[in-house]
Amino acid sequence: MRYALATFLVAFALLVSLALQHSFGNPFWFFFSVAVILSTWFGGTGPGWLSVVCSILAVMYYFTPPLRSFAVTPGDLPYFVTFVACEVGATQLISWRRRTEDGLRQARDELEARVAERTAELKNANDALVKQMEEQKRTEETLQATRAELARAARITTIGELTASIAHEVNQPLAAVVANADACVAWLFRETPDLAEASAAAARATEGATRASDVIARIRSLITKATPEKSSLQINRIIEQTAILAEGQAARNGVAIKLELAPDSPTVLGDSIQLQQVILNLVMNGIEAMTSVDDQPRILTVQSQTENGEQIRVAVLDSGIGLSEEVKGRLFEPFFTTRTSGMGMGLSISRSIIEAHGGRLWAESNGSSGSTFQFTLPKDNGRNA
Amino acid sequence: MKEQDPVVFVIDDDRMIRDGLQSLIRSVGLRVETFASAQDFLGAKRPDAPSCLVLDVRMPGLSGLDLQLKLRDGGIPTPIIFITGHGDIPMSVRAMKEGAHEFLTKPVRGQDLLDAVQKALTSDRVLRQERREASEIRARFESLTPREKQVLELVVAGLLNKQIADQLGMSELTVKTHRAHVMEKTQAESLAHLVRMSEKLKNAERK
Repeated sequence: MRYALATFLVAFALLVSLALQHSFGNPFWFFFSVAVILSTWFGGTGPGWLSVVCSILAVMYYFTPPLRSFAVTPGDLPYFVTFVACEVGATQLISWRRRTEDGLRQARDELEARVAERTAELKNANDALVKQMEEQKRTEETLQATRAELARAARITTIGELTASIAHEVNQPLAAVVANADACVAWLFRETPDLAEASAAAARATEGATRASDVIARIRSLITKATPEKSSLQINRIIEQTAILAEGQAARNGVAIKLELAPDSPTVLGDSIQLQQVILNLVMNGIEAMTSVDDQPRILTVQSQTENGEQIRVAVLDSGIGLSEEVKGRLFEPFFTTRTSGMGMGLSISRSIIEAHGGRLWAESNGSSGSTFQFTLPKDNGRNA
Repeated sequence: MKEQDPVVFVIDDDRMIRDGLQSLIRSVGLRVETFASAQDFLGAKRPDAPSCLVLDVRMPGLSGLDLQLKLRDGGIPTPIIFITGHGDIPMSVRAMKEGAHEFLTKPVRGQDLLDAVQKALTSDRVLRQERREASEIRARFESLTPREKQVLELVVAGLLNKQIADQLGMSELTVKTHRAHVMEKTQAESLAHLVRMSEKLKNAERK
């Protein structure tokens, strides 16, 4: 193709030269130089040389005397040699220029390829890094989940053991109550009722019931501790600490905890662990109450405020499902729970704690927009910390 | 022979439950003896009367299940009614496999317990009757001479005097004499009676 182009260019130069030599005089061969330059430029070294040879032959044949022969007269020799030198020079120059350009182009292509290669390598490295980071994040999440699971399992085990032992402790006197009550009835309904036996059995039934209630009281005092260790506490600090404790659980359930704390940082006299336990319990209940809420943001608000300058009110508001009247009436009963897990002791114990602190704990339903659990504590006006 | 009044043994470490169960069972006119532990029960002298045990599974010291095994190994097949705190399935399965009569969960309904006690006593009465008969029969059979025992074996196997004589290498007359002694000593009224007694004895020994 490139050689055909060279041949065509030389032939064209020949025709133009032949056509124009009548007007411009003899010999007229400048167009061959143009043909050689173009051939070398577009065709490369090989076609360049071909055009040179063809041009020389054409000039020898058509333009140097004797015309129509390949011979050159000695008088025309220097002229002809100059022509040949010009042609060779032109093709050399152009082909050198071309080679340089090719070299440059190749170098550029190589550079581009290497840049692309490096870019790809970098991208791979980056991908690997991202993957590794994801992996690490997953591992951390798994670790976190495992830890939480472990903690939960430990808690459940403790609760399970506690429940089993409570169940046994309570069931035993109840069994006595049932046996003695049945015996009492049996003595009364004999053909000749035996009142002495019946009343003895009834007395034992009463004794059993008393024992059962003692067991409950004992458990409660065990959990709430008999004597709280009271010190002067900033209630806001306790709320903040509790909020941090509950953060993980809140985040996992998509709940935002909002604190609206009293600006005067009131202090109370109390047991910090117990009060934290109460607030945490209320916060956890609130989070739990919102797990089924999907149509509005899950926001848990903890407020503290001073009332009448002498008592502090702490309120935990959730945007959950609220409380039905039936549930509300039984909330603070021991062992009452609406959950499948849990012992139902939390609120009952919380109320005992708050009452031991000279306060009050109660619940209000905010209709369909959730519920509020709040407690009051006497403000520590004496020896402020 | 007049049977002694039945006795119900109540074994529970909880005094109130023990007293309640005792009162309940006494209210239907049964005799009750109570024990605070399995050891106390094993150490006590027990009357020879139809009886059953009302036994708490979970007790300090020897547990109800341990006592059950001890009694069985000691050849005292008294029916046991187990009472358990909260339905522990593996435990109840174990107890039933070892032949517990009944398994009730605390708190036990009075009527359920009384029904179980009555059933257990009836079953023990029957077993005791069988055991007594078997031991009477055994005493009679034991008074036979070795030769008479051989003859007895073949008689109850349905062989004729002639065949017995052939097998034991004696005269038919001698066989007839032995046979008469067997009938007399075992107080058998007929051949059928003799066969029945022999079967009863074998059954009792198998048990």
